[in-house]
Amino acid sequence: MSTPAILVRALRKSYGSKAAVDGVDLEIPRGSFFGFLGPNGAGKSTTIRMLTGLIPADSGSIEILGYRMPEQSLEIKRRIGLVPDESLLFDRLTGAEFLEFVGRMYGLGRSTAIERAGDLLELFELQADRKMIGEYSKGMRKRVAMAASLIHHPELFLMDEPFEGVDAMGARLMKDILIDQVKRGATIFLTSHVLEVVERLCDRVAIIHHGRIVDSGTLEELRSGGESLEDAFVRLVGAGHQMERLDWL
Amino acid sequence: MIAAILRAQLLSMRLGARRGALLDILTGVLWYGLWTGAAVAACVLALQADLSWLHSHLPLVLLGICGYWQIIPVLSASMGTGLDMRKLLLYPVAHRKLFLVEVLLRLTTAAEMVLVLTGGSIGLLFNPAAGGWRAAHLAAAMPIFVCFNLLLASGVRSLLERLLARRRVRELLTFFLLAIYLAPRVLVQSGTGRHTLGGGLSALARVLGFPWSAAARVAVPAASGGFEWLALLSLGGWALAALWFGFTQFERNLRYDALAAQATPLPPGVSRWQERKERLYRVPSLFWRDPLAAIIEKELRSLARTPRFRMIFIMGFTFGLVVWFPMLAGRRSGQVATGSHYFLVVVCLYALTLLGQVTYWNCFGFDRSAAAVYFVAPQPLRKTLAGKNIASLFFVYLEVLVLAAITAALQLSGGLRTVIETLVVVGICSLYLLALGNLSSVHYPRALRPERVSQGGRSSRFQGLIFLLYPLALTPVLLAYLARYAFGSEAVFAAGLAMAAVLGAVLYGMALESAAGDADLRREQILQELSRGEGPLASE
Repeated sequence: MSTPAILVRALRKSYGSKAAVDGVDLEIPRGSFFGFLGPNGAGKSTTIRMLTGLIPADSGSIEILGYRMPEQSLEIKRRIGLVPDESLLFDRLTGAEFLEFVGRMYGLGRSTAIERAGDLLELFELQADRKMIGEYSKGMRKRVAMAASLIHHPELFLMDEPFEGVDAMGARLMKDILIDQVKRGATIFLTSHVLEVVERLCDRVAIIHHGRIVDSGTLEELRSGGESLEDAFVRLVGAGHQMERLDWL
Repeated sequence: MIAAILRAQLLSMRLGARRGALLDILTGVLWYGLWTGAAVAACVLALQADLSWLHSHLPLVLLGICGYWQIIPVLSASMGTGLDMRKLLLYPVAHRKLFLVEVLLRLTTAAEMVLVLTGGSIGLLFNPAAGGWRAAHLAAAMPIFVCFNLLLASGVRSLLERLLARRRVRELLTFFLLAIYLAPRVLVQSGTGRHTLGGGLSALARVLGFPWSAAARVAVPAASGGFEWLALLSLGGWALAALWFGFTQFERNLRYDALAAQATPLPPGVSRWQERKERLYRVPSLFWRDPLAAIIEKELRSLARTPRFRMIFIMGFTFGLVVWFPMLAGRRSGQVATGSHYFLVVVCLYALTLLGQVTYWNCFGFDRSAAAVYFVAPQPLRKTLAGKNIASLFFVYLEVLVLAAITAALQLSGGLRTVIETLVVVGICSLYLLALGNLSSVHYPRALRPERVSQGGRSSRFQGLIFLLYPLALTPVLLAYLARYAFGSEAVFAAGLAMAAVLGAVLYGMALESAAGDADLRREQILQELSRGEGPLASE
């Protein structure tokens, strides 16, 4: 039996006295499209940043694709593709130059990196843009970030709000690529505020609130009695409306 | 509404637990303490001055104050620091109110001049020769003069901001402004233009109708020959003109699309020049393997396209010559000490220190939050640091070669031997500076905005550290020079340099390993510091 794509046990991370992630357990099988949901400030981005090794965990264990973080972090980094919430792009490079750079950082030969960068730019309709990345719109930056996460053909994608700021055409393209990647055996770990997107794409979901997993499982397991994912989310996160107090509105 | 904006601005500037806050406070206390001292001196001087001195010198003093008031916002604009009022266009605030905020905030950029003017005014009030308490005009003259300066500074700054937003113009204009700023110093130091400069300024100060001479006449009615009301009217007219200029420039700034001005022009196809540049960027791949080659290549591309880096690079081989040439040429003698053996070395070391601010002292600075790529990529951080160091060294040596060519053309260097000595000395000093730079990049990272020519603000701790480290890094080479001087032997000098090189290489290796290890441990703090955001108004 193959090891899970992500195996997290009792993961904790605090900032001062506030626990951003408070004892998270996750087990995500390989080949799954996993949605990680939660309200703002729930701990989604902190979790992703710990999974990528950008920030260290206070306690707990992380195992990705059978490798332990942080002991085997180089092995893990070689196998993951990251689309962060704030795109990690060098503003003074063009899209092509950035993709080539990322490819070479992931161990691709220069000619392979250039070739793949060209293909990805064409796929993401960025080929005509010889502008610096600093001049790109938010949607274009997301497209470049997505292309960069694909260039080394990773086994696991970690994506923090990948569709934010992307137009309908771009979002559709990105979704098609992700679905195709899952079909080919890749695993996707995705956070999104757009529950409809998660509902359509993901086969497994976890909801985090105040740094703790409040529920997880398949979509069917989460939705009880035919309710939508949004209903389930609101029920679990417990957001009560008090609009009647705003009588001036 | 204005109070709310000012409060938001002040809150964004609060010190909190920010690193270096204590040093910022100390620097502020020292700076304003010095200016308070200057204000007291101005008070004493104004109190004791006789009428003829006031008549001849007060306009000159006020011209100096006006000049200072203008040069600070001009320099800050050219360096890209300051406020961005466009952020407030979203809210239903009248433009005249925004302009008032701009002017009020501008007051803080030259508060030291308000101190000096207040001190001088108090002295004049108690000076019977100036008219003493009878000089009630003074109460009106100084506030109007302050308003004139504030409004003019605001207008000039707005105008410059638009000019500087244009591609390439920023570097040229900044260079021109700094040249204007340095020119009097060079003229005085070289002794060639001292008399002319002083005479020209005096004549300018005495010309009737200028705001500084009008303010002086109002402030000292005894010296105005009974025309103090006319002078007050003139001063008021200047203030109104400054108000019109300041407001129209401010309005234009609010409507200005800086992004469009900065957009990269996209000519069809790839030009021959671009092809050549591309080949140059590929050179590292001939000498190193990936990821080192990829990192060096990325650094070369990024730095060459960064306005701030380009500006510092140009300053390295221009101001280095301008600043050091008169000093080495015997200051006021006017004699040029051609062939000075140490000139090239000194100028190149100066360029090395200048380049440090935008390269090795803070090597992740221009990457900002994108530096996370280095932590996410499956490569050891040691290679990232080494790649960045090699790219820095490339530009350092390019600077040295440019300087060597210029000094050779001007017959200021001592030939090929001096050039070789300079290359060796710069290389050895670079080992020490890069070693220290790697440690400082990891322990004192800070985000740099590439479009700015200087950072300004919160760098005092970092700057303080650099001032301590420079002498330390240059000591081994200085000892080698000292040995040559003491023993009069080139062999001893060469041995001294060889020892310094070996020690530097060992230190560099140790520092690189240490910095890479620390970067891994401190990655969260580093990325947090490099992702630091902006306040509601200040782009600082």
